[in-house]
Amino acid sequence: MPATDHGDRPAPQGGSGASGPLLELRGLDKRFTGTHALKSVSLAFERGEIHAIVGENGAGKSTLIKLLTGVHLRSAGEIIWDGRRVPMTGPQEALALGINAVHQEVVLCPHLTVAANLFLGNEHARFGLLRGRRMVRDAQHTLDSLGFRIRADAVLSTLTIGQQQLVATARAALRGTRFLIFDEPTAYLTRQEAAQLFALIRRLKGDGITIVYISHRLEEVFELADRVSILRDGALISTHRIDEIDEQGLIRGMSNRSIEQIYYRETVPRGARLLETRGLTGQGFADVSLTVDRGEIVGLYGLIGAGRSEFVQSVFGRHHATAGSVLWQEKPVTIRSEKQAIALGIALVPESRRDQGLCLNLGVGLNLNLAIYGRLTRGLTISRGAEAAEADRQIRDLRIVTLSRNTLVASLSGGNQQKIVVGKWLNHGAELFIFDEPTVGVDVGTKLEIYRLIARLLRDGAGIILISSYLPEVYELADTLHVFRRGRLVASHGHRQASVETILTEAIGV
Amino acid sequence: MSETVIKDPIEPGAASKPGARLNLLLSLTLLGLLLLLWAALAVSTDTFLTVNNLTNLMRQATIWAVIAIGQTFVIITAGIDLSVGTVLGFSGVVISLLLQAKFSIWLAVLVTLLVGVAIGMFHAFGVIKLGLPPFIMTLATLTALRGIGLLMTNGSSISITNDAFTSFSRGGLLGIPNLFWMVILVAIPSFVFLHLSRWGRYLFAIGSNPEAARLSGVNVQAMLYVAYTLSATFAAFAGILTTSRIGIGNATTGQGWELQSIASSVIGGTSLFGAVGSIPGPLLGSILLTTINNGANLLNVNPFWQLIITGGLIIVIVYFDQLRRRKR
Repeated sequence: MPATDHGDRPAPQGGSGASGPLLELRGLDKRFTGTHALKSVSLAFERGEIHAIVGENGAGKSTLIKLLTGVHLRSAGEIIWDGRRVPMTGPQEALALGINAVHQEVVLCPHLTVAANLFLGNEHARFGLLRGRRMVRDAQHTLDSLGFRIRADAVLSTLTIGQQQLVATARAALRGTRFLIFDEPTAYLTRQEAAQLFALIRRLKGDGITIVYISHRLEEVFELADRVSILRDGALISTHRIDEIDEQGLIRGMSNRSIEQIYYRETVPRGARLLETRGLTGQGFADVSLTVDRGEIVGLYGLIGAGRSEFVQSVFGRHHATAGSVLWQEKPVTIRSEKQAIALGIALVPESRRDQGLCLNLGVGLNLNLAIYGRLTRGLTISRGAEAAEADRQIRDLRIVTLSRNTLVASLSGGNQQKIVVGKWLNHGAELFIFDEPTVGVDVGTKLEIYRLIARLLRDGAGIILISSYLPEVYELADTLHVFRRGRLVASHGHRQASVETILTEAIGV
Repeated sequence: MSETVIKDPIEPGAASKPGARLNLLLSLTLLGLLLLLWAALAVSTDTFLTVNNLTNLMRQATIWAVIAIGQTFVIITAGIDLSVGTVLGFSGVVISLLLQAKFSIWLAVLVTLLVGVAIGMFHAFGVIKLGLPPFIMTLATLTALRGIGLLMTNGSSISITNDAFTSFSRGGLLGIPNLFWMVILVAIPSFVFLHLSRWGRYLFAIGSNPEAARLSGVNVQAMLYVAYTLSATFAAFAGILTTSRIGIGNATTGQGWELQSIASSVIGGTSLFGAVGSIPGPLLGSILLTTINNGANLLNVNPFWQLIITGGLIIVIVYFDQLRRRKR
């Protein structure tokens, strides 16, 4: 966006002019009590480049951002902005220099209008009174010039998450920003919304803004970035031009593992039939027939809104099917509620484990046992011995890394949290596990942990339904891959039978 | 990046596990503060360490403790019950009218408790079925029940002529006032329910994440009915005890005590965000607040100052409590 458009303040005057990198880090170092979060990182960001930073959780990406935006104070090292050494002691200083960030979750006021959000803290006023109409007009002008089909007087919460993310980006780019950091901006966006955001990012680059782009989605990095830097364990591993490196190389740099090691898969003999649907029809999907056996991973792939989630939720009893039938272990059943699905032995590992799967500010043990307290109760009270033993057994079996069963779930890593969601259902005797986007927003190492967990479940005779919007995941893992398009099951393939291109074409329907 | 490196400073209340070591520790520090206060009062006044004063203190503490314990169930589910003070006054009116109509004591007590049950169910109904925020739902009954109570009595007090009923609060057993036995009667089953039974675990789970609890097979609605019903019923019980103590039924009794109950609970370590709390907490909290009132009276402190001291104390205690949690 044109940095000159709405800034009250002129763009910060550079000290030594327009040559050399815009921002340079020399030996940047950060220690927290007990942790060395960032180890002497030296890195230069060129003017007008899109510089991706990749790394696993805990690699130091967030720390780096927080040092650059003045949220944390560095322990050692220098920050050189436009050829000048800067103290960088607080967020205000970063903003004044022209450094801004767009976060994974939209940090705006949902009840205010788009215009009010764009101008928040920077309102047009005359004699202390807001000039509402002028702000709406200016905001609309900005939105139009960026090619967004968003009304400036719309209340923010009425927009989709993707549109809100665009507003957040526009806002961050408005005020003389010269250096803009994106921290996993697409985590909650659909493919189309992400495409719109990418267009905006390229446009900002065209306006001369330097972009730092952080994402777990490596395909985005290749689509967008000019250069990429890899962080591991707080240290800078390497920086590459994007055409000098491939996905394999990035993964190896981030995790010290190869891609075959990531998509961990064991072949387990198929067992008896667990689930069969015949012509199942309901809200958002129609005429879906498929089967799941013990020892089988059934992958469901499709674009967002293709009906795969709706289909599974119907199997899980959340929405009623209007036609067709369901057979559970070869006997016809009508699943009317989630409770009934759980009782049969179906477990849903929800997409958002934080919102739906876990009590974050309670202990590991309570979360593991939550579904089986009925069984742990003797008379009126819980048998505390059995409660502790059950929790400890799960922690051991699933190799959950935690200090004790009383540790709060919130303090665990994503992979360990996912294990707790699964462990809860194992305890309950579940046999069919539905994983809905199990690896969204987790790093490569955690992914591997989750895939190993899935393999373990298979070995123990469970069946798996794996839903993913990330094709490589279902492609590499699923024994049977079903493709959904517009509510219908349009194609089915065995493991790695069809090419990725074929499957994409089937899902998009060209 | 890793949650282990950067601590989120606004992480809402967090306890390792309901009823576990943290609560014990917290109770101990509160207990220490309480003992310190008692020692100071014993030294600085002649009247504090008298049987008369101590029984009096226990009687008042009882009533606040009972409503604070009930309140705690609701707060743990991340709700709030603003109506407990009004329910207390209203049930005083109910039982005095029943006794005036020559009902037997036991029947009158039973009917009054059932009125409490009904009020609690109505709260849960409003919160669950009508989808009203607990704050609004109980604020509405706070106002409305006060009005109903005043209508029923024409705004006047009803004297209790049943001596057996009023002498209960003056009596004692084994040197301990009857009223204090009542708090034990309430606290022990409450402790078993909250800390030792699965339903207690469910309350914590609901306060932490109702959706996760529901998907784990917890009957969230039924548990919310239980929590609100316990709170209102305990308030009705406290109303019966208060009426026995003061000998009159008046719809305005208990005005403002909902705040006492919330303060007692919070001082006792309950988090208003839900999922953190215990039974010993509100018990000690209410005894502490009563002691401050009692001590201030004995020291002839201007009652206006008492209010200021109580307010300041709430800030200090809860601040330290949160500081301790944050460190973990």
